[in-house]
Amino acid sequence: MKINIEQALGKNVKVTDKKLVTVIRTNKVNFYYTRDKKTLDNINITISEKKVTAFIGPSGCGKSTLLRCFNRMNDLIPGIKMTGKIEIEGNDIYSPDVKLEDLRKKIGMVFQKSNPFPMTIWENVAFGPKVNGITSKSDLDEIVEFSLTQGDLWKEVKDRLNSSAMDLSGGQQQRLCIARALANKPDIILMDEPASSLDPISTNKIEETISELKNNYTIVIVTHNMQQAARVSEYTAFMMTGNIIEFNETSALFTNPKEKLTEDYITGRFG
Amino acid sequence: MSDKNKFRKKIERNNKIAASVISISGYGVILSIVALFAFLLYETIPLFYSASVTKTVSVPSNKNSKIIFGDIDSYKELFYSINEKGIVSYYNVKEKINSGNDTIPLLDNEKIILSEKSTTSIGRIAIVTDMGRIINIKIGMRSDFVKDKRNIVPTFEIENNFNIYGSNKDSSFGISNLSYDISSDGNKFWSWLDNKGNLYLKIFNSDSEQFLDYNLSKQTSTFGLTALIIDTENELLIVGNNSGELFSFDISDPEDVTLKGNWKSSNNKITKLAFLIGGNTLIVGDSKGEVESWFQTRGEDNQLHFSPINKFKKHNSAVAQIIASPRNRSFLTIGENSSVHLNFSTTSTTELEFKMNDHSIVYGTFTPKSDGIILVDNKNNLGVFNLDDKHPDVTLNTLFNKVQYEGYNEPEFVWQSTGGSDSFESKFSLIPLIFGTLKGTFFAMLFSIPIALLGAIFVSQFSSKKLAKIVKPTIEIMAALPSVVIGFLAGLFFSSLFEQNLMLIFSLSLFGPLLMILGISFFGFIPERIRRNYPSWVDIAFVFVLMCLVYIIVSTTVYPLEHLFFNGNLKQWLYSSLSVTYDQRNSMVVGFALGFAVIPIIFTITEDALSNVPKSLSSASLALGASKWQTVKKVVLPAAAGGIFAAVMLGLGRAIGETMIVLMATGNTPILDLSPFNGFRALSANIAVEIPEAPVDGTLYRILFFTSLLLLTFTFIINTIATFIGDKLRKKYARF
Ligand SMILES: Nc1ncnc2c1ncn2[C@@H]1O[C@H](COP(=O)(O)OP(=O)(O)O)[C@@H](O)[C@H]1O
Ligand SMILES: [Mg+2]
Repeated sequence: MKINIEQALGKNVKVTDKKLVTVIRTNKVNFYYTRDKKTLDNINITISEKKVTAFIGPSGCGKSTLLRCFNRMNDLIPGIKMTGKIEIEGNDIYSPDVKLEDLRKKIGMVFQKSNPFPMTIWENVAFGPKVNGITSKSDLDEIVEFSLTQGDLWKEVKDRLNSSAMDLSGGQQQRLCIARALANKPDIILMDEPASSLDPISTNKIEETISELKNNYTIVIVTHNMQQAARVSEYTAFMMTGNIIEFNETSALFTNPKEKLTEDYITGRFG
Repeated sequence: MSDKNKFRKKIERNNKIAASVISISGYGVILSIVALFAFLLYETIPLFYSASVTKTVSVPSNKNSKIIFGDIDSYKELFYSINEKGIVSYYNVKEKINSGNDTIPLLDNEKIILSEKSTTSIGRIAIVTDMGRIINIKIGMRSDFVKDKRNIVPTFEIENNFNIYGSNKDSSFGISNLSYDISSDGNKFWSWLDNKGNLYLKIFNSDSEQFLDYNLSKQTSTFGLTALIIDTENELLIVGNNSGELFSFDISDPEDVTLKGNWKSSNNKITKLAFLIGGNTLIVGDSKGEVESWFQTRGEDNQLHFSPINKFKKHNSAVAQIIASPRNRSFLTIGENSSVHLNFSTTSTTELEFKMNDHSIVYGTFTPKSDGIILVDNKNNLGVFNLDDKHPDVTLNTLFNKVQYEGYNEPEFVWQSTGGSDSFESKFSLIPLIFGTLKGTFFAMLFSIPIALLGAIFVSQFSSKKLAKIVKPTIEIMAALPSVVIGFLAGLFFSSLFEQNLMLIFSLSLFGPLLMILGISFFGFIPERIRRNYPSWVDIAFVFVLMCLVYIIVSTTVYPLEHLFFNGNLKQWLYSSLSVTYDQRNSMVVGFALGFAVIPIIFTITEDALSNVPKSLSSASLALGASKWQTVKKVVLPAAAGGIFAAVMLGLGRAIGETMIVLMATGNTPILDLSPFNGFRALSANIAVEIPEAPVDGTLYRILFFTSLLLLTFTFIINTIATFIGDKLRKKYARF
């Protein structure tokens, strides 16, 4: 187990650049789905610009919940309650002045299960810019090409932009969803187990895409696959039952965990 | 091991049983639908059968004396003929034997030259002899039952006779034409032309018990009169001459007979005239073989004039006989060259052409029930034909095209299946009924589609779960409401409510939504940060308060407005200014009531379709920065399009087939009128309305089957479209 992770880390670039810019900062975040059930407990974390940060931890520990706090997708669920503060680029995103649509435009999201719209490939990618007010066809064409290229899909689909997105393979669909999120030119991309339902080859492809994207975007990725976290991320947060147990550079966390719980988890003693 | 095998076998057996039961019931459903279609077709098809004649018997006759007249009883069992020597011979058609004679007493060497039977009074015959006598006889047919066996016994009676030559008896004198009729009040009419072209009319006035004699020749100014007929209502005497002119005399007052008018009807000699049953339609035949129907219509001067209506198939020779059916608007025309045409006036068709033989026909008549034809030729051949023409008044043309019915000034679409008298002309246009169905459906959909769709969108996308839990079952209960209850409420309660509050209803349906939208958009201006802290019921309470407010605003301003613009009464204003009549039970009321029945269907299916759109799609959209409404519009609605389309189509199918509501909430007047303030009659309601009037296997009965077939086809097509297009849309938008 440990050897696998070291192999994975081998590919990882060591964090040398110390001039880190904080993009997301949470301060004493508590989250409740129902009044008596605390799902996130006193979360304090800072996420740096143009880095890949991974959340790992056993299933049900609140990784997705925390991720959804960042673009306020949890707001849709009736009866939730959140305390504490989340700042993105220095602004409190839960302040009443924040327009949800603007916030979400700035933060792209890729879901666990690929969810392309039942439309053409072109329409899928152009959807975000369109709802955010871009109407010119040539602008949209440009954005579609740019996003698909960044999402590593352009070469495969450039000849069939007008065919249904549903005809793509599972891995292609997920990369389309990445491209769709990129079309809004976001600063941050949230990915919730983006490869969990894909075969190894497609997973590989997604991971390559992520590696290319990290030069331009801040990426937060939830995964329960530790090798994946080791391969793609620079920072890793280990969560358990709503708490962040340990947060560190990925290589440090995996090779030299400070907490007993972390060590137990990465050596496969539970989870 | 064997236990396991047993278990396997059991499972296999159960599988087989289940499979066969399921497939049998599946095929059964399909089969029963096919059978239903087939049955409806089977009952409908005879409507379109063409007429046919078959010769049943040739009655033997004495070839030496000319036969003048022939007829049969209504069961077509006892035939009789009268020959020129006054012998009435009876012939039993069933047993093919002569069954006796009667004799009309004639003078020495006196011969019968003409006979004419009254069209209105069965068995009354006027006989003209070459000595100038008119003898009126009455031959009755009594059915006696001997040991449950029917036996037709003739009764023979000489009523009276008189001499029409008067004093100026002259050997070159003769009679060429006779019309004889007895009116319902007992007046008798004889009118004839002599061979010099003089026109005479003799009336027996039953009140004064006196004969009145008229010589009408002088009033016709021209000579050469060639044909005449008294109408079956005994109000008109029509005479034609050799240059194609017709003259009409008013004979309704026996004491005062006057020329009413004359007109040109043909360029040729008029050879024969006849009135059809009811005494409205005049059939004119001329020497070139033309046959044309005429009846009185109101002209621009608001007076009744005879107008040409339909032309029928031409004969190759002069028209020698025109014989009207005693039961319907069929008539026979017989050419001098012995061709026989069977025509039907309403449909303006010549249904049948046939010949008995190559000899010219001297006499023809319909059997009393119009189910047979009797023909006599100049060689004394007697033929009795069966006529099979059960539904002469229905063709695709009369069902779907305009027809000029008696008394109408122009061709129209009319549905009027039954009337007060036997001589009523049935009007079977389905267009007003189809129109009614479409009109009702249109108003119902106009009302229900927006409400049902918006409601479904609200409940599935915007409302809180708690509210949805209340609204959905409530609307499902609406679907369970028996349509008779809705119809009853609409017909008795809402219709009068609408009528009394017309202006209010209008203003509410016009300004209500506008004010609501205004109010709600004002609500939208309240900043998010304040709104977010509201409990969810605040929205609903706000809308409710808004509704009350809108109602109060509209209802207080509506009466002053009505006074200002519509002289205080919109309904009266509609009539006086736009001459729009307002029926209490009108299309708006039906649209409302029928909409009530349709809303639950559209709502439920649409709501399901919308809720079935995966949350992941709307999440994706929201995460891309789309607003809630953008998400609904661009992602959820397209993804649910197939289901929504199917919902609307199913609602449409329900609206088309719905009977009770349209029956009770409209006046069921089959009129073609787009006005929402008039009623209509729908196909479905028509079936319910007409069933009591439709004897089994009659024309109306079969037309009702035809309309059921139409309805079934309509709904079948709509459901098929719903499925096909729904599927297509689902394939396109809903592959998740
Ligand atoms: N929409 C929701 N409503 C109520 N409870 C939820 C909801 N989503 C997640 N939870 C609960 O919150 C906890 C954390 O869930 P989640 O963040 O999805 O965990 P993870 O992503 O780490 O597996 C779990 O116990 C889960 O059951
Ligand atoms: Mg998760």
